[in-house]
Amino acid sequence: MQPDPALEAATLSEEKQRPASRERLLVCLSPSPFSIPLIRATKRIADAQGSKWFALYVETPSHTRLSQKDQELVSQALYLAAKLGGHPVKVSGFRIGDEILAFARDNQVSKIFVGKPFERRWRRFLGVSLVDHLIWNCGPIDIFVISGEGEEAVLVGAKRLKPRPRLWEYLLAATGVALCTGLGFLLFPYLALTNLAMIYLLTVVIISSFLSPGPAIFSSLFSVSTFAFFFVPEYYSFVVANTEYAITLVVMLLVSLLVSGLTTRVRHQARVSRQQERQTAALYEMSQNLTAINSLEELLKVAAEQIDQIFDSRVTILMPDPEERLHILAGHPFSDDDVREGMVANWVFRHGHLAGAGTDTLTAVKGIYLPLMASQHVIGVLRLETTQPERIIEAGSLRLLEALATQLTLAIERENLSRQAQVARFQIEAEQMRNALLSSVSHDLRTPLTVIAGSASSLLEGEKNLDAGTKHELTQGIYEEAKRLDRLVHNLLEMSRLQSGEVKINMEWYVLEEVIGCALAQLDSQLQDHPVSISLPADLPLLQIDALLLERVMINLLENAMKYTPPGTPVEISGRLNDNELLMTITDQGPGLPVGQEERIFEKFYQVTPGSARGAGLGLTICRSIIEAHGGHIWAANRPEGGARFSFTIPLVEGAPIIDKAIPELEQDLADESDHPAH
Amino acid sequence: MPMNPIILLIEDDAQIRRFLRASLVTQGYELIEAGTGRDGLALAASRVPEIVLLDLGLPDMEGLDVIKQLRAWSSVPIIVLSARGQERDKVVNLDAGADDYLTKPFGIGELLARIRVALRKSLSAEENQQTPFYALGKIKVDFDRRIVVRGQDEVHLTPIEYKLLSVLLKNRGKVVTHRQLLKEVWGPSYVEQNAYLRIFILNLRRKLEDDPTRPQYLLTEPGIGYRLRDD
Repeated sequence: MQPDPALEAATLSEEKQRPASRERLLVCLSPSPFSIPLIRATKRIADAQGSKWFALYVETPSHTRLSQKDQELVSQALYLAAKLGGHPVKVSGFRIGDEILAFARDNQVSKIFVGKPFERRWRRFLGVSLVDHLIWNCGPIDIFVISGEGEEAVLVGAKRLKPRPRLWEYLLAATGVALCTGLGFLLFPYLALTNLAMIYLLTVVIISSFLSPGPAIFSSLFSVSTFAFFFVPEYYSFVVANTEYAITLVVMLLVSLLVSGLTTRVRHQARVSRQQERQTAALYEMSQNLTAINSLEELLKVAAEQIDQIFDSRVTILMPDPEERLHILAGHPFSDDDVREGMVANWVFRHGHLAGAGTDTLTAVKGIYLPLMASQHVIGVLRLETTQPERIIEAGSLRLLEALATQLTLAIERENLSRQAQVARFQIEAEQMRNALLSSVSHDLRTPLTVIAGSASSLLEGEKNLDAGTKHELTQGIYEEAKRLDRLVHNLLEMSRLQSGEVKINMEWYVLEEVIGCALAQLDSQLQDHPVSISLPADLPLLQIDALLLERVMINLLENAMKYTPPGTPVEISGRLNDNELLMTITDQGPGLPVGQEERIFEKFYQVTPGSARGAGLGLTICRSIIEAHGGHIWAANRPEGGARFSFTIPLVEGAPIIDKAIPELEQDLADESDHPAH
Repeated sequence: MPMNPIILLIEDDAQIRRFLRASLVTQGYELIEAGTGRDGLALAASRVPEIVLLDLGLPDMEGLDVIKQLRAWSSVPIIVLSARGQERDKVVNLDAGADDYLTKPFGIGELLARIRVALRKSLSAEENQQTPFYALGKIKVDFDRRIVVRGQDEVHLTPIEYKLLSVLLKNRGKVVTHRQLLKEVWGPSYVEQNAYLRIFILNLRRKLEDDPTRPQYLLTEPGIGYRLRDD
């Protein structure tokens, strides 16, 4: 196919307008307030170019040693990036520069933005600054350094926590080396010097695999010096007699330092991967659980329970009503009614920013509040209350919490979308229904109207000529057709109300006999031609039903039987108790159903003989709607011995007021009263 | 000779007014008509009717407000005319002081029966309560001796069943809502206990009716309450 030249030109000119639209920018974040202006600067550039941008934070082992405040700075920066339309990313690694470049290459980033103060805060590699490292290794990627003038004052507030290896760790390390030295004295007569050195190395490995980096380095230095002092000639002196020994010592020192460093890294890695595994598992489980759910309430409930479990905390999910007021939709209510809790929740909802206990914003409350950030706006607030909020913020759990919040947000959005889709589908269905209704109604309403109008006009015109019998017949016809019209209109209204969800099912404990009695009473005149027999179990409990709707089911089914069976044939209503449901059957002895149509008769506007004007074809559809709303089933079949059988089930609900038991209880009340007769 | 009873019809549809006028006047009632709630209230005050027939779909006022305003100063029987499927509205209206209701479309026979019951109530409210003895079909009740007989046999009723039956008898021919029954028989704190009421009605039917599923005396008004048949 020839490319359309006009289209091509249009595409080209569009590209000229926004020449850099395929560019991807990356801004590197540090635990510094300067990250905020840096993000804003990047956002301005990205907007001007129409490009996609990432905000990257590399989490190194030292991240855990950052003060809570600095960690919060990082979260804030990532939130801001998300809010401004960027893609916030956190990766873990040791070498910040390498991680940045690896991410940039993986994501086809063309420009990297770093801040100037940034360099001062991050490690230097072998005397080379991070910026230098990036510039040297970036290949085709441009590096931009953005100045942080005027931000210095803010920086003073953020300081790094000193790693705090405790004294006992050093003592333990020293004890370990001392024990090793004791062992060395025992083995000294039997072992060569190099093998003794091995024992010391083993000690260093063991010590550094359990203790922090400080004591680990201390143990390597201490062991090399003890080894040199006690076992290397000259004994009991640091003087080394032989060059060979000197080499042994130097190698031993280097190896032990290297080993303690490596061991520390392995431990960090293990910790990170454990944490990641836990997070992945938690996220996976959450997403598994959330995908299967179809209602918002259930979704929020499951999410709240799950986050509860992961963090061993009390979770609350708040969402706004149409007037933007937050309400608790799932989870625990606030433990005490501190008005500040609600105020913080509202603040978080409006600002889309983490706050609450353990964070650096609005800390005077018990809960940690996270905004649920959808693509456009904040759709809710997640509240978490634990006894130690600092632990969640500090121990890297915040990241997991954020990820869970994101997942929850996605699930809520998905649910909202599917609800919108459902509404749209309902509207289409309602539209189709209205059309079908119009065509059906125009026919079904006209037939009785014709009879009524015709008979009435005959009566008017032939007032004098008609004999009494004919007059009576015409009047009777008018009356009956009017009744039919009324039933038809009633069914139509009922149908559309059921469909629109306007009918609220009003479940109460009912006596089935009464419901059947009402249906029979309503059909009294029609039932004269059909003997009806009823057999119900004697021990039938009260049913949890909407009596008016169930009465409608009985009326429609009985009316159906009247309509399609010859006069004089009996109709049988019977009930049977199964495990946890009541099975009702209405059996007639008419011609039965058209074979193969047993299901179709429940469809809207289906008529066995089209155009027969016997009804709008809605009666059974209504029955099905009602029975299904009660949690039961309805179906039809032909009986082998002839005639049709309609069956439906109603679930039995536990806790029905018991007929025999209720009586003595209440009679007791009256017994007190009957001493003072009411009359 | 007493004057014809005056019936006030508050109904905005001219055709329905015409049909009721034709039927009620031939039955010997005097009919006064109002097309709006406001006019109706004014007529109720100036003409003091024996019965008010009130349509619920008035253009200017809620039927409930008409009932409440009327009840503020008058105890005239009110029969509500309403469409089907508004059971909750009916209950609200009945509990607010309406005496009875009719579902449109209705036959004239039904309307006349309701009017007769309402008139009897308004004419002989006191005498009615003094009746020591009452018979309905096969069932006979002796209020003084608190004895109920069905056919030839005495029926043993528990005190609550007896009280339930006597409340229905007092209002015979007229609908009594679930709430009203529960309040009168069990007391104001039981008005939500519909299930108990249903159980007792079922027991009463088993004792009084030939076929409890097709009751002849104790009729159910679906979604509203019960009515004792009145001959």
